[in-house]
Amino acid sequence: MSSFIQYTVFGVMLGAGYAIAATGLVVTYSTSGVFNFAQGAVGMIAAFCYWELVVANGLPVLAALLIVLVPGAILAGALVERVFMRRLHGASAERPVLVTLGLMVILTGLATEIWSPSVSRVVPDMVSGQFGLAGINIQYQEVLLIGIAAATAVGLRLFFTRTRTGFGLRAVVDDPDLLAMSGASPNRMSQLGWALGFFMAALAGVLLAPTQTTGVSIPAMTLLVVNSYAAAIVGRLRNIPATFLAAIGIGLAENYVISYILPHVAQSLVPDITLSLPMVFLFIALVTLPSVRIRAIGRLTTARPPRVVSGRESFVAGVVFLAVAALLAAVFDNTPFRGTTVLTLGGVVMTLGIVALSLVLLTGYSGQVSLCQFSFMGIGAFVMGKVAGGGSLLGLVAATLICAAAGALVALPTIRLRDLYLALATFAFADAVYNGFFLDTHIYGSGGVSVGRIVLPGLSFGGDAAEFLLVTVCFVLCAWLVLAVRRSMFGRRLVAVNDSPAAYATVGLNIGITKVTVFAIAAGMAGLAGALYGTVQQVVGYSDFDFFFGIIFVLFVTIWSIRSVSGAFLGALTYTVLNQWSPNAFGLFAGIGILLIGRAAGGILGLDTLQLTLPWTRQPASDVDVVGVAEVALDGAVLGSGSRAAG
Amino acid sequence: MPPADSNGAALTVSEVAVRFGGVAALTNASLRVEPGIVTGLIGPNGAGKTTLFNVISGLQAPDRGTVHLFDVDVTDLRPNRRARLGLARTFQRLELFGSLSAGDNVRVGVESSLEWWRWQHLRRLVPGFGNGRTGGSGEDRDGSVADRCRHLLARVGLSGHGHDHASAMATGSARMVELARALAIRPKLLLLDEPGSGLDDAESQALGSLLVDLAEAGMAVLLVEHDMELVMRVCTHIYVLDFGDIIAEGPPEEIRADPRVQAAYLGAAHQTDLAGGG
Repeated sequence: MSSFIQYTVFGVMLGAGYAIAATGLVVTYSTSGVFNFAQGAVGMIAAFCYWELVVANGLPVLAALLIVLVPGAILAGALVERVFMRRLHGASAERPVLVTLGLMVILTGLATEIWSPSVSRVVPDMVSGQFGLAGINIQYQEVLLIGIAAATAVGLRLFFTRTRTGFGLRAVVDDPDLLAMSGASPNRMSQLGWALGFFMAALAGVLLAPTQTTGVSIPAMTLLVVNSYAAAIVGRLRNIPATFLAAIGIGLAENYVISYILPHVAQSLVPDITLSLPMVFLFIALVTLPSVRIRAIGRLTTARPPRVVSGRESFVAGVVFLAVAALLAAVFDNTPFRGTTVLTLGGVVMTLGIVALSLVLLTGYSGQVSLCQFSFMGIGAFVMGKVAGGGSLLGLVAATLICAAAGALVALPTIRLRDLYLALATFAFADAVYNGFFLDTHIYGSGGVSVGRIVLPGLSFGGDAAEFLLVTVCFVLCAWLVLAVRRSMFGRRLVAVNDSPAAYATVGLNIGITKVTVFAIAAGMAGLAGALYGTVQQVVGYSDFDFFFGIIFVLFVTIWSIRSVSGAFLGALTYTVLNQWSPNAFGLFAGIGILLIGRAAGGILGLDTLQLTLPWTRQPASDVDVVGVAEVALDGAVLGSGSRAAG
Repeated sequence: MPPADSNGAALTVSEVAVRFGGVAALTNASLRVEPGIVTGLIGPNGAGKTTLFNVISGLQAPDRGTVHLFDVDVTDLRPNRRARLGLARTFQRLELFGSLSAGDNVRVGVESSLEWWRWQHLRRLVPGFGNGRTGGSGEDRDGSVADRCRHLLARVGLSGHGHDHASAMATGSARMVELARALAIRPKLLLLDEPGSGLDDAESQALGSLLVDLAEAGMAVLLVEHDMELVMRVCTHIYVLDFGDIIAEGPPEEIRADPRVQAAYLGAAHQTDLAGGG
């Protein structure tokens, strides 16, 4: 019994930490419409800054806490909103996801530069000691965390119900346009929302850091708040009390599983289960959400879409591409480069290019975001290595089909929901697959998975050049396929379902089936790419399909243009080259690039005269206003009838 | 209006209520739309017309009441299932596929009954295979589909505009693209949400004639429109919606003379003496 109470107290403490972070997410989302994927990274930076002040510089705890939270987090949040987020008004739905991911990548990249991962940094409890109560020992730190969370909840409650600013924030939550009509500034409110969100992320980070008894690590701290995503989703990204309770529930559930179930399962499964828990919670949260109504949004895409490339054009371009590749193969055959060969790296570019093509289909055409294409790649490589000795066409087919099926399973729970939830599901899936599958030496092997070169009757691809040409041909075939899809009936449907879901449904087409289908096809393509990647590298391990690298990859493709085949190729090329050049800092390039390119849906290739829209470039206000006025007109119409009815 | 009365009606809406938070958008709306005529639905701004359209087409679930399409209870059906039963609509705020051309907007509608995974469509993915020589931008040579798209665009007065980029079109033309796309699914019941706004006089005349032609061909048309001249000219029967409730119905001449309608709809400024009765 006493151990039950002990576990419960610790679970509530964990949950309290999640609750603070999750509430911050909700405040930011409801005031600005942006789900901050960087919430965990903000908490991580705060934890490291706190460590720097307290442990490295010996500042008193309270002073350090104040410095990190008040000028630090609040100013950073306000600044980020002003410089990067405000420009996203009126941008297509996937932009905010990518921009906040960019922020996450920048913060983790910076942290890696500043705080070398080789040093262990244990963040001490803010208050040490413990006391006995009913036969159990309770740490003061636990009481402090729970107390701060409770104070935060009460404080927020008072702020939202008693202060004018709090009323304003709630009005933004309920209806930004009506707030604008009342003379308040939605921009100011949004900025305040971001400042508050950052504050709470930092608070959660600092408070949860001491739970990392072996020291804070950048990835662990960044992902620690994935549990808060699930809580925020239970609160439907709007309801703060529900979010708070859900977070406490998740903290409890997590600690009960760890304390009661894990001791009874095989030791090898323990890390898998522990690390997969956040995803399990997230999926449960997603499944419990009610379907969202298909809204007539009256949004008209204003960005010029890339021209639809004709069959003849793509054929000629593909043949030229192959000819250039053949020339390169002849020139660089067996040329060594940094422990590998030039053509092996070329093969990596081609296979990553196929992953990028899957993103063109999925994100570029149909507007859905997937952050787990590298997971499918890793699964594809694994299947390739395990089926029929590791170098067969059967392996390629199996990798494609298994990943397509896995893709359908990931997408299914979220098809009833908004696209943001799909992005969240893929985030959680990528996290879980990386930690529970790729990192598990029992499954993926400590030395990685061996994949042979493909053997066809009468043909050998054992040589450097032959293998490079094989994957290049595969890339070109996939590029032709993606372009042909865009010209086809299915391609028109992908674009249509993205442009107007309401119109799509009312002409008799099924939104869910279309979305799941394209997700499965894209997952299959990524699986095929993974299988081919395996044949290029011959041995693949967890580091090839790193969760963060997968996100960085999406950013590189988006920076060039996630809507075009050229963008896919350039994204894969830039990713590979910069990764070779500086594996630690290349994420920074991706993050900075995506923040610079901001709302431009077409990426660099889609910019008129290739001019970057820099953060300080003034955005035309009309975009926001037109959307706002139209919505006011509609909502005003509804309200009009009510107020007159009431009168 | 109980569903038992709906025999022969294209659409029967019975006692529908919708609330948004504390605001009642529809309180008790019932109406019946017959095939072969244009039925009008008028009312002041905020009366609940668009909400009623959303309830009929399945974009908004009602809190109470039922919707029957051709005697089938569709209250719980999704929008795409209702479209398959023969319902098509346009939107007050444009819902075009903005990244597609005008022609491709219509084409998505024309092709909505086709299954892309069938071999005759899949084989067109390979250039030069079968009859699908994919020549120009997105164009394939499937005569019947392309012909129907051209025909539909011509019908709404947009001949030769098939390659225009939808998001760059003027509002009036864009509304006509939506109409053509709605017609593309061969509807039996057509809901039009202010199709006349943004049209000049000649275009409005042409729209009126088209609606009459469609009705004469047997289609049921429900028209929400602020252009009273157009409504009075083409509608055989008119419903008046106010405060989320149907306050009057009847042929145009009766509606024009109804003092409640004048008070509610034709403007309080000139009808202040009647406002008390509204």
